[in-house]
Amino acid sequence: MKDVYVIGAGMTDFKPQPDVPVHELAFRAAWDAISASAVPLEKIDIAYAGHAYQGPCFGQKTLMRMGATGIPIVNVENACASGASAVMGVIHAIKAGEAEIGLAIGAEKLTSPGGGFLPIVADDLDSAMGRVMPAAFAMQARLHMERYGTTKEQMAKVAVKNRRNAMRNPRCHMRKEVSAEEVLAAPMIADPLTRLSCCPVSDGAAAVVIASGEVARRYAAKPVRIAASVLVSGSRTPYGIVDDRSEMSIRASRKAYDIAGVGPGDVDVCELHDPFTIAELIHYEDLGFCKPGEAGRFIDTGQSAIGGSVAVSPSGGLLAKGHPLGATGVAQIAELFWQLRGEAGGYQVAGAKVGLAHTVGGGVSKLESGACGVHILVA
Amino acid sequence: MAEAQSHNKVPTTRPIRPDLFVERGSDGRPKLTGSRCRETGEYFWPVELMNPKTRKLGTLTGAEIDGAGRIVSYTVVARGLPGFASPYAMATIALDQGPTLIAQLEDWQDKALALGQRVELKIGVISTDKDGTQVMGPKFRPLAP
Repeated sequence: MKDVYVIGAGMTDFKPQPDVPVHELAFRAAWDAISASAVPLEKIDIAYAGHAYQGPCFGQKTLMRMGATGIPIVNVENACASGASAVMGVIHAIKAGEAEIGLAIGAEKLTSPGGGFLPIVADDLDSAMGRVMPAAFAMQARLHMERYGTTKEQMAKVAVKNRRNAMRNPRCHMRKEVSAEEVLAAPMIADPLTRLSCCPVSDGAAAVVIASGEVARRYAAKPVRIAASVLVSGSRTPYGIVDDRSEMSIRASRKAYDIAGVGPGDVDVCELHDPFTIAELIHYEDLGFCKPGEAGRFIDTGQSAIGGSVAVSPSGGLLAKGHPLGATGVAQIAELFWQLRGEAGGYQVAGAKVGLAHTVGGGVSKLESGACGVHILVA
Repeated sequence: MAEAQSHNKVPTTRPIRPDLFVERGSDGRPKLTGSRCRETGEYFWPVELMNPKTRKLGTLTGAEIDGAGRIVSYTVVARGLPGFASPYAMATIALDQGPTLIAQLEDWQDKALALGQRVELKIGVISTDKDGTQVMGPKFRPLAP
């Protein structure tokens, strides 16, 4: 089986950008990734564009701005895992020998010049019954608190950590520190989650260039190997989405660790799915960084901080960056690429050799979630 | 006549979906409506196209499902989307007859809510459409411990 490598990455700011059309955001990220990779545009064999709400032929509308036409372009929707799915699509094409170099783009525009809510999907019963995203995670928080004694203070520490990390990431939306007291005192959204326990609304785009082994080494002095690319869909769990763990995240990450030949203890840096504080805590357990129920202690003892046993969300994560759905999965790969090359600047995790990216989401009544993508990158 | 109608307008209602519940079931009380498998006896809600566990076609019949159950978890949503009277309580309910669902609670405001608390089924207003039509559906009323 061919090895595949990331050889370039690009990313826009993640923040509300109501006056910038989404294809322009995506174009900027893509152009930056291609320029960084030093690959001439004509050598890109295939492109996958991940997004949830940006309309038909999103990839084509983006790439034609740089004159890229005629190549196979596939547009991918998998809710929060759209970006991870786009990356996986490019990897598969290269491994199958259908392409040597590919581009994965992810983008989302959630704001509009007039403002407004995220569209409710009319055919989803849970949404129609009133299950908004914060409510789902709030119910999960209550279960975790009841079963393991996890506290609101421990949940608040996730927001404190990620907002502190974001201070050193110029691309982030939320670049002001918050204290645990401020998190707990913020307006309640869905008990026990306050406004500061939830990610903000951002627009953004990211892109990565991926190439097979020999080709990668032609262009990049330090290509970063993608050791595993795993996608799973949700199981019909007994309670739908409400459990004290994410079964899909456990399943996807175990498969990824197996394929990559590493374990949770080997991971130096992790960008995971933290749209709400409780989500990051639960994923510490799902991804094997600590045992079930131990997430509160894990953050209490600083183990997920930069400098801890695994730096989680050094970029600020979704909590500080926001979650432009399609962009997130690709942005995580870009972040790990920079980390593993020592190019993450002010939020660099010293000596990072193994990185894990994780996204999960997509509300489907009766399923835990639509999709979970896990990638492992190795320097 | 028309003036009187608009002055004393009674809100029209519609069910959130036509196949989820009946206001008066076989014992005169509200019931959920779903599927039951002839082979395994398992209940499913909402109705399924086939048994998703056995993956067999043609073994399901329509069935009434009793609304007695318990709270698995809950939250109070401070401010919902337009059309949802806020604050409202949302819960994951495990029915005694097997299926689980996510639904709003009714008459929860002056009660202490707890995981495992018993609930009963009510048909109530879930949301209101832009034109004022009330959307009716299953809600659960916490019972005293």
